[in-house]
Amino acid sequence: MMTTTESIPAGKYRAGDYKSDLKPIWCPGCGDYGVVTALTRALAAISRPPHEIAFISGIGCSSRIPGYTTAYGFNTLHGRSLPIAQGIKLANPELLVLAASGDGDGFSIGGGHVAHVIRRNIDLTYIVMDNQIYGLTKGQLSPTSQRGRKTVTSTFGSLEEPVNPLLYVMGYGASFVAQGTPADMPGLARIIEEGIRYPGFAFINVQSPCVTYGSEEQQLKAQKALMHNLESNGHDPTDRAKAIELAREYGTRLHTGVLYRNPNPPPTYGEGVIERQQALKKQAVPRNQILKRFMPSIAV
Amino acid sequence: MRQDLIIGIAGAGGDGVISAGESLITAAALEGYHGIMTKSFGSQIRGGEASCRVRLSTEAVLNSNGPLDVAVALDWEDFRRFGHELPVEAATIVIYESATGVAPDHLPLEGVTPKVVFSVPITEMAVKNAGTDKAKNIVVTGLLAGWFGIGREGMLSGIRKKFARKGAVVVEGNARAFQAGLEFAQAHPLGEESRLAAPRKGRGANLLTDGNDMCAAAAIFAGCTFFSGYPITPSSEIMQFMDREIWKYGGTVLQAEDEIAGIGAVVGASFAGKKALTATSGPGMSLKTEMLGLASIAELPLVCVNVQRGGPSTGIPTKAEQGDLLQAAFSAHGDCLRPVLAPTSVGDMFGVTVEAFNLAEYYQTPVIILSDQEIAQRKETVESIDATAFPLVERRRPTEAELAKYVRFKLTESGISPISQPGMVGGNYLASGIEHNEAGRPTASGEMHAQMNEKRFRKFNPLKNRRDLFVVEGDADAPIGLVSWGSVAGVAKEALRLARREGLRVKLLVPKLLYPVAEPVYQDFFASVSRGLFIEQSYQGQLYRLVRMYVDVPPLVKPLARSGSNPIQPAEVLERLREMVAALQGEHNNRQPHEKAEG
Repeated sequence: MMTTTESIPAGKYRAGDYKSDLKPIWCPGCGDYGVVTALTRALAAISRPPHEIAFISGIGCSSRIPGYTTAYGFNTLHGRSLPIAQGIKLANPELLVLAASGDGDGFSIGGGHVAHVIRRNIDLTYIVMDNQIYGLTKGQLSPTSQRGRKTVTSTFGSLEEPVNPLLYVMGYGASFVAQGTPADMPGLARIIEEGIRYPGFAFINVQSPCVTYGSEEQQLKAQKALMHNLESNGHDPTDRAKAIELAREYGTRLHTGVLYRNPNPPPTYGEGVIERQQALKKQAVPRNQILKRFMPSIAV
Repeated sequence: MRQDLIIGIAGAGGDGVISAGESLITAAALEGYHGIMTKSFGSQIRGGEASCRVRLSTEAVLNSNGPLDVAVALDWEDFRRFGHELPVEAATIVIYESATGVAPDHLPLEGVTPKVVFSVPITEMAVKNAGTDKAKNIVVTGLLAGWFGIGREGMLSGIRKKFARKGAVVVEGNARAFQAGLEFAQAHPLGEESRLAAPRKGRGANLLTDGNDMCAAAAIFAGCTFFSGYPITPSSEIMQFMDREIWKYGGTVLQAEDEIAGIGAVVGASFAGKKALTATSGPGMSLKTEMLGLASIAELPLVCVNVQRGGPSTGIPTKAEQGDLLQAAFSAHGDCLRPVLAPTSVGDMFGVTVEAFNLAEYYQTPVIILSDQEIAQRKETVESIDATAFPLVERRRPTEAELAKYVRFKLTESGISPISQPGMVGGNYLASGIEHNEAGRPTASGEMHAQMNEKRFRKFNPLKNRRDLFVVEGDADAPIGLVSWGSVAGVAKEALRLARREGLRVKLLVPKLLYPVAEPVYQDFFASVSRGLFIEQSYQGQLYRLVRMYVDVPPLVKPLARSGSNPIQPAEVLERLREMVAALQGEHNNRQPHEKAEG
């Protein structure tokens, strides 16, 4: 297993090889541009050919992202990037599978899938571009909006507590949890790369500001002043209890870097699948003989 | 001697009613009889009432309906709960538990006085011989073997195998209980005419299974290597079979967290290039519809089985109904077409499932199989099938040359575009639920949307000429026509045979392709028809309504449609046919003098 401390060999692909020529629909200055840049840098460092990468998203501003890469992309339904990504990974374990969502896609309409991809530990990397607002539908309240936040659907202020994405995934036992921001591009590229290399499910929350509907304190400039780099602060990413403590500070402090990395990666679902297929292979009767199974037999 | 025998057994959940029925049909199938066994339950998880109907015959059995020749009641209250599912007539031989305290001349059956009634101390015989009332069902099988001459050796050897692990004492006890039933029957003979004639073909002629297992086996034959779904009655056995088998073929089963994720994973597996299946029932189908739309616009093959049950909403999960046809035809929003197929029997499920995969792959589309609780869960003898006679179709993958300049949604003449998959060099593209241009890039262009919609409809044009997906029986130029589908088609087929035996000129159309509506097939069928019936198990008569959207159905062709759990009987269809013949005769007679005057 490779960790951030090891040096990364320069690959044969460059970041530009993973960028498509499709023009993004995003507003000028949107944080999501930074995610494309960081991601393509991470992919260049890993250097898997684009045709071996499947990049799946849901619906929302952020979910347009697969189209801006040269990977096989699938822009699916609102909230459903994870089930589809899991089907792809299980159908072809050789592929490098990435999933992307926004905060609404990932923690509201599709929130129910997160627990299950974590407990299955399917080897894919899930990037959530968290901007605490619904941008594509023009400024409604999101599941990560702060309590009291005024939006077009919370005219007098939100009456609910936000979802804490970091604590959410830590609670379900995710083995790799990180947070980044386009305000620290090298840091973001590094955690995405590390997440992809981690053998198992990896979750990356990106504080990706919305320039049109986001609040002042969420913009890149403000973020730069508020960032707390976990590594420089001496955080030990193998300390789960400490990671949970830091995750609680979501919404009040912007921690960047790897929050938690299980040093003993648990077995992935895919490994179990291959093991089972190998073990049962010999029992297969030829497909065109399968109906023989239905010969009447009185044995119970 | 009889050629056909319908037995109904009912009791409490723990009485072993189902197990008795299964022993009976298995032993009969081994001997070479044809048969269908249906099970019916109250919706309780354990306990509650249970019943089965076993129809055995020397010839192929078309359905399990019709009044009982033999009724077995272990408890009268439980028996009566099944109402129309276990109809008793004067000619029905009634066998019941004497411990119920009911007098043979005071059976709790309204308006019916069966002529032959046996009050049998079933529990007492079980306790005396096997030392437990759990052997009640064994006594019942002994009684049935004795009176009707079926499965004696098979059931006895079954008892020995079944209880072998529990030791010699238990084996012998149960064998004695069976023997006691047999001897009781011999001591109270019914005569030769009650016994079932010998089967036409010998041992090993038939398979025995249910629709859910057949569907799963057919999927594996078709090359399916991915299944994902969520447990739901009455479809779960498809996932269960897949989970036992698919790993052996390098495949995977994923029990999803919900219905949406189930079909989502299947959409993903299909995108990755695999043949993939999901199965559900009504409520799950409602949840899956958004994904069906996605698979349609992204042009991804998949097969989705809906094992229909009573609806709407939770409805009656344990009973069959044909109420989801309109949902299947018009599932998901937007202008779109998804083929819908329906099997008519357990045996037919094989070919229909293989066809569903072939259509899905060929047309790059989701295909819906409308099964129903009856086909899914009834055990049926199936004449052995040569699987190699069913060709398999693979999706049109791009050639090297096409990959060199790959265009995923190319507007071809047929409407079918070569489809790549991750891992293919040069095949990279963006699949999406968003409308796209030929290259797969998102677009809001009205012109492109119109072209893509047209392509997605055009590709299905050849389907409407697939006459092999329709069965037509009877007199080709008959003035009376029946149309029926799914499990109910067996009732219509039997009614047709009864009618033709009386010399009535009738024909029957059974579509296995329900949607798109194949106009030419219906137009040809109705050309000679002036009266007729759509026979369906739904309140509205959904096929009748669907066909009328596309075809001018003769005005006197009407639905004979009824909600699920109220089976349509061949005899009542026959009665309606006789009325139609009489009405036609009347019209003819009224016309005669007039025509003569003209001449």
